[in-house]
Amino acid sequence: MMEVSFAIFRKQEGEERLSMSELSLPSQFESFGDARKQGFIAVKNLKEQGKKVAGVFCTYAPQELILAAGAVPIGLCAFSDETIPDAEKVLPRNLCPLVKSSYGFAITEKCPYMYFSDLMIGETTCDGKKKMYELLGKIKNMHVMQLPQNQTDEISKELWYQEVLRLKARIEQDFGVTITDEDIRAAIKTKNEERKVLKEFYELSKACPPPITGSEQLKVLYGSQFKFDQETKIREIREIIEKIKADQEKGVQNVSPSAKRILITGCPLAGVTEKVVKAIEESGGVVVAYENCIGIKPVERLVDETMDDPYRAIADRYLQIGCSVMTPNNNRFELLSRLVKEFKVDGVVEMTLQACHTYNLETAQIRELMQKEDVPFISIETDYSTSDVAQLKTRLAAFIEMLP
Amino acid sequence: MKKYFLGIDSGSTLCKAVVMNTEGILDTYAVKTGWNPYVSARESLEVLKKRNGLSDDEVCIATTGYGREAIDFADYTVTEITCHAYGGVYLMPDIQGIIDIGGQDSKVIQIQNGRPINFLMNDKCAAGTGRFLKMACDTLEIPLESIDEFTHPQEAVSINSMCTVFAESEIIGLLAMQKDRSQIMAGVLQSIARKIQQQAGKIDFIKDKPILMTGGLSRSQKLIETIADFIGFEVKTCPQALFAGAIGACIHAMNKEKN
Repeated sequence: MMEVSFAIFRKQEGEERLSMSELSLPSQFESFGDARKQGFIAVKNLKEQGKKVAGVFCTYAPQELILAAGAVPIGLCAFSDETIPDAEKVLPRNLCPLVKSSYGFAITEKCPYMYFSDLMIGETTCDGKKKMYELLGKIKNMHVMQLPQNQTDEISKELWYQEVLRLKARIEQDFGVTITDEDIRAAIKTKNEERKVLKEFYELSKACPPPITGSEQLKVLYGSQFKFDQETKIREIREIIEKIKADQEKGVQNVSPSAKRILITGCPLAGVTEKVVKAIEESGGVVVAYENCIGIKPVERLVDETMDDPYRAIADRYLQIGCSVMTPNNNRFELLSRLVKEFKVDGVVEMTLQACHTYNLETAQIRELMQKEDVPFISIETDYSTSDVAQLKTRLAAFIEMLP
Repeated sequence: MKKYFLGIDSGSTLCKAVVMNTEGILDTYAVKTGWNPYVSARESLEVLKKRNGLSDDEVCIATTGYGREAIDFADYTVTEITCHAYGGVYLMPDIQGIIDIGGQDSKVIQIQNGRPINFLMNDKCAAGTGRFLKMACDTLEIPLESIDEFTHPQEAVSINSMCTVFAESEIIGLLAMQKDRSQIMAGVLQSIARKIQQQAGKIDFIKDKPILMTGGLSRSQKLIETIADFIGFEVKTCPQALFAGAIGACIHAMNKEKN
């Protein structure tokens, strides 16, 4: 059993940082999922080996740059309401819970990943995040990329390309390294490998019935963020795929053929919001696809490995991610239209977080799109509490009962 | 296939139960849900069995409503949304929708070809629910069952607070200004109707088919008229509308048993 006092992490004014071997795991160790939990130890070990850690929030942060610098990228978005009361001492109440929770974990130093981050990378995505980054910048080493909100015009593309170069310079400076052409090309290659294997993994659920449940799929998708060695991560996902395929060949059936096939779209879903997946899968549904930040959205596109300028290739690829901060957000619509067919979806559930204006506003267009595609659609708004679990269950069960 | 079907709709305030066979409704029973939904559901089952001389092995039980998860003697459980739709269509076959206002929530359900196809449900807020009306009745000292006698729609004073807690303060303020309580009650009904209008507005209702009002609040004709006024569609109810959820549970069980 690990010692569980995180208080010693807090660096007092003028006090020397404690040596890594004295560090212990934070108090909410038990409340995180396994990969995230294991990751605490892994990242602590990496730090002890002298590795640099770069924390990222959104999917627009080009992870290739971090890998090329020999550093470790780690997802920082928080999915628990534990630190929201602390965050609300500074932030307004009617703000997205993800923003509040993330900030709360940073100020309370309850998230080891934030604690270990030598650099935090944010982008000007939604209003909540970009203004929160300003506050975070006062206490953390923060780099904010100016994300344009249009994906097609030349000026936006050029701005984003320049921002990728600016991030490269920042990483090189902060980590004291030089990213060579060879480094960046190798990083592009390994990230593409990861995307390909993840895609192969989630596409297994195109089968009817899917070989795994939606909560099992999510465990791998979310957990993959907390595997810090690229080769090991790719190998482990590959092993899962082989295991599932072997089970399929043996005729093992984990999911009822009559389970309604659900695609989830909307805000980032993990941690406490897994209540949505649970409600669906306890009510005769099975989640086959996640068109979310943790899921298909950031994985489908590859970085072009043939382009002369690898930074241009990175910029072009990342800018195309279909988040609701984009206007218009055609890439999300196109992806959704394609996925509902490819995964033979019976119904689409959109999960939005309270006060997430961009997703909440985009709901009207998604509803219209799903009507056009003739796919039943429901949008539910939730937060990081568990007070609405019974209501969610009623709503989602009723939706599934309605599916033809 | 079992011969008798017993549907229990364990709501936040009332537990409604119905016994049916393939011919129709045989008996109904309603009792306060109380603090333990299991106890009131069990009581409903026992009363209906006894009154109709039914034995355990000839009754198929289906439960719905908030308390459904607490009831372990059911053969089927199903959501109140599906049940209200089935029950509503049973009571009034030509409806295009249902407005169900219960103790702690309100729902608007769209019906097509006798099946629910879309619904909206309020969340995390007592506005437009039975709780809201109960608070107003308590403050105004009007018995819940006699709101129609104490409502003067023509002279309604507007209640602007959607929040139940603030609305109570607002009502107290109006009473201090010596407003008549029948005017205030009319304002309260309008406030509920406005909330329902917001939900119904998101559904593409058509002109020439009625909407059925179910749930505890369907017993107020004045509220039904106020809602019809606000949403611009015909709203009807019927004596057994309170039992729509329980009837729907019976029908669900019947369908399941047939397959």
